[in-house]
Amino acid sequence: MDMESAQVPDLDTLVKFDLKVLAADATEVEAEEFIPVFHRWITERLLPELLIDVADYSHVHDGPGVLLVGHDAIYAYDLSRGEPGLLYSRRHESGADLEGIGSLDDRLRSLLDCAYRACDLIEAEPQLNGRVAFDRHRLELRVNDRLFPADEKTALTLAGAFQRALVEAGVRDGDAAVEVKRIGEPRERLTLRTG
Amino acid sequence: MSQLTVDSAATWKERLEGRVPPHLTEEIDIFETQIAQKRQGKIDDKVFAETRLRRGVYGQRYDNGQRHDGTASRALEYPCGDLTKGPNTVWDAPGMLRIKIPFGAMDAEQMEALADLAEEYSDGIAHVTTRQDIQLHFIHIDDTPDIMRRLAAVGITTREACGNSVRNVTACPLAGVCRDEPFDVSPYAHALTYFLLGHKDAQDFGRKFKIAFSGCEQHACGLANMHDLGAVAQVRSTGNGTRRTERGFRVYVGGGLGAVPHQAKVLREFVREDELLPLAQAVCRVFGRLGEKRNRARARVKFLVAKLGIEEFTRLVDEELAILPSDDRWTAYLDDLSITDEAPTRPPATLESGPRAEGFAEWLGSNVQRQRQSGYVAAAINLPLGDLTSAQLRALADTARRFNGGLVRNTVEQNILLRHISEADLPALYEELHAHGLGEPGASSLVDVTACPGTDTCKLGISSSRGLAGELRKRIATSIRTTGVLADEAVKDLRIKVSGCFNSCGQHHVADIGFYGVSRKSDGRTIPHFQVILGGQWTENAGSYGLAVVAVPAKRIPEAVERIAGLFVAEREKGESFQSFIARVGKARVRQLLDDLTKLPTYLEDRTLYSDWSDPREYTIGDLGVGECAGEVVTAVEFGLSAAEREVFQGLLELDRGATEAAAAKAYEAMLQAARALITTENIDIGTAPEEIVGEFRIRFYDTELFFDPYAGAKFANYLFRVHGDAETNSSEEAHRRIEEAQLFIEAAHACNQRISEIQAARVA
Ligand code: SF4
Repeated sequence: MDMESAQVPDLDTLVKFDLKVLAADATEVEAEEFIPVFHRWITERLLPELLIDVADYSHVHDGPGVLLVGHDAIYAYDLSRGEPGLLYSRRHESGADLEGIGSLDDRLRSLLDCAYRACDLIEAEPQLNGRVAFDRHRLELRVNDRLFPADEKTALTLAGAFQRALVEAGVRDGDAAVEVKRIGEPRERLTLRTG
Repeated sequence: MSQLTVDSAATWKERLEGRVPPHLTEEIDIFETQIAQKRQGKIDDKVFAETRLRRGVYGQRYDNGQRHDGTASRALEYPCGDLTKGPNTVWDAPGMLRIKIPFGAMDAEQMEALADLAEEYSDGIAHVTTRQDIQLHFIHIDDTPDIMRRLAAVGITTREACGNSVRNVTACPLAGVCRDEPFDVSPYAHALTYFLLGHKDAQDFGRKFKIAFSGCEQHACGLANMHDLGAVAQVRSTGNGTRRTERGFRVYVGGGLGAVPHQAKVLREFVREDELLPLAQAVCRVFGRLGEKRNRARARVKFLVAKLGIEEFTRLVDEELAILPSDDRWTAYLDDLSITDEAPTRPPATLESGPRAEGFAEWLGSNVQRQRQSGYVAAAINLPLGDLTSAQLRALADTARRFNGGLVRNTVEQNILLRHISEADLPALYEELHAHGLGEPGASSLVDVTACPGTDTCKLGISSSRGLAGELRKRIATSIRTTGVLADEAVKDLRIKVSGCFNSCGQHHVADIGFYGVSRKSDGRTIPHFQVILGGQWTENAGSYGLAVVAVPAKRIPEAVERIAGLFVAEREKGESFQSFIARVGKARVRQLLDDLTKLPTYLEDRTLYSDWSDPREYTIGDLGVGECAGEVVTAVEFGLSAAEREVFQGLLELDRGATEAAAAKAYEAMLQAARALITTENIDIGTAPEEIVGEFRIRFYDTELFFDPYAGAKFANYLFRVHGDAETNSSEEAHRRIEEAQLFIEAAHACNQRISEIQAARVA
């Protein structure tokens, strides 16, 4: 195909992002312990979005752990790369709290809000008894859509927007530069990591 | 940051232009249009459902927009509102995509594509099925055309992966490297796959049609006996006084598991290779023309063969063959039988002694087998519950590229096989696999438990087959580590297979120890159970099917496994197989052994039994608030159903001692007892005459559809009507089937009773 004439999708239209908040210390907790926790979140409607079911992949090596599957996003106590953390994987933007997102900056800010809200809930979760804490400075942001070029331009645009979102969320003060580096192999999804 | 991929476009259709074959582009475009039309209400629900099924787009649990959260059934309010993708199937509800992998063969590029799709559209997991497919879960229907394009770009189709069509053609994963096969069946499986894909004679079936190839009769790998059409490789002398031989197949027809398993019948003792495709086409024509269309429960080929008899079925196939218009494709592929060949990329070399990584010896002993090509081995990757991550799939693609040119085969035991590995490379291969969590020992052994999706994602699941399988894996591994009873050499190679319901997708009938999910009422609530199935045979292409012994609460199944294994270890005779052992000691003994496990505590005594494995929700709440009167009636019903279970068990014992007539009579009596038990809820004065029971049952439970299974409809009720109309039999196969049917009828009676209780509870409330 003629690459010159090909349309490159606009990053402002990118919906499918993964954001992982790495656990500060998770040696005390087993992934299976999240099964009843996530079921309770569904029953008690602890999140302002449609939650559907829980999926258990704790048997898989360095896998997605235990998932809370919603319509707009999948939440997971994720074990990939051998680094436990809270994964928020956005798929759609239908919920009332996601209304009005129009730009990449808005979207990254809302990703942080959603992921941190889940982290807060887990840290306060009575069944886990304070055994999981998250390091809100150690984050992985991933473009979960290979239609978007995983090139330097995308990475730089994304890093800039991410930095602004982090500042806005109060994770960094305005002066400090956000160290964002790219991780993973070229064939993997574009992934930036902070901290 | 370095410059990376620059291939970019606004849509996958644009991105993949020129990389997807034109006919597939057209097919997928049409499907995308059908999706748009359905959104606009321009396609009927049922038509669209079958359309998407034939594209591999399947439903998933809770897609009716309801979910029981342990306290109440709640509506899942999807943003799509009333839009549906089939009867009672909500548009936005996540679904499953089944991806056909003919005879399980995948290359590295395909593995990478699957890895990408699993993480972008699914939950990061690729699931290997018992039919060598790959399944992705939690897929949105709107994403499916793009997924199909990306698969088509690497030579994979989802076409006819589900629906009333020819499903994935399976074959021994060792085909081409096995020391027992007369020749490699892979190119024949490949040819038949693409010959029948979309073939006009395979579009008008009442149900699915499954085909399997096997390289030999004695081993299980192909499971030819349990398929609609099975082909087992044979060679014979051409008989011209020369030593020349010709290739062909013994062809079986009408096998199948499902609720009531059927052993396949021999359609042809020997079919020459050039006759295979036309024969399969003729079978499809007969099935399409005469197979049941309205009653799904009796629409598989096995019922047609049973109804017509194999002689008549064969005659009809011959008649079709005689009038089939000739097709060049029948033999064209014979000029290119090397199409599926896999040449090793590393030189053959023997494994020298030397320092080894920890765990290597155990893995070598359990997961590696020699090929017929000297100096090469096949190494199995033992996947827990058939699952692997995108990262593992990508790592596997790299490993395969390095060690054998990038090829693998999925197995029907939900594992993956790396073939043509030079023996000398094994230590390095193990280290790579181990680094990615793919070096688990115990492939095809006791610990390698097979399970269907069950209640995790399947709409028909009754109990958590994956939850149980996961728990069994853990317990067996622990027992092996601590040299418990499950570490004994005698049980090492037994197979455990678990299905979430009677439909048998976990292939429980052909396991040494099989389970299928059922439920039982106690203390006004419901408890998940599994029926324990013993006596099945995995070898000889699934040579015989097991039968249910007793239903045990799900949470007590691990204990049941330990007890059964312990009995075998303690009392088996030298060289005795598990199957022979069960036949010798008898199912009554096993039932006695497990008897205390079937006693149910009250909810207050032990709540753990009232939820399933890996799922803390209370299993059901349907009976809360049931009045005392209803409670008494329920007790009477339960009592009657329990008597029916005893009766069918007696039938099982009769069958074991070869008394087929008595066994069939017991099965009939058991069904009558179960039906009578239900009738007592409405007519306490019901007599015991069969005519009266069947008549009352028809009026009160069949005509009202109260007895109908939500998915199987009238299927189980018809078991009673059929046997009532024709109670006598001398055939052991028929008696076996009647026992199965009686067990299923009783299960349906339990389910019906639960529904009645719920209705009564609602009335009281
Ligand atoms: S056996 Fe039953 S629960 Fe399991 S996949 Fe088949 S239909 Fe679903």
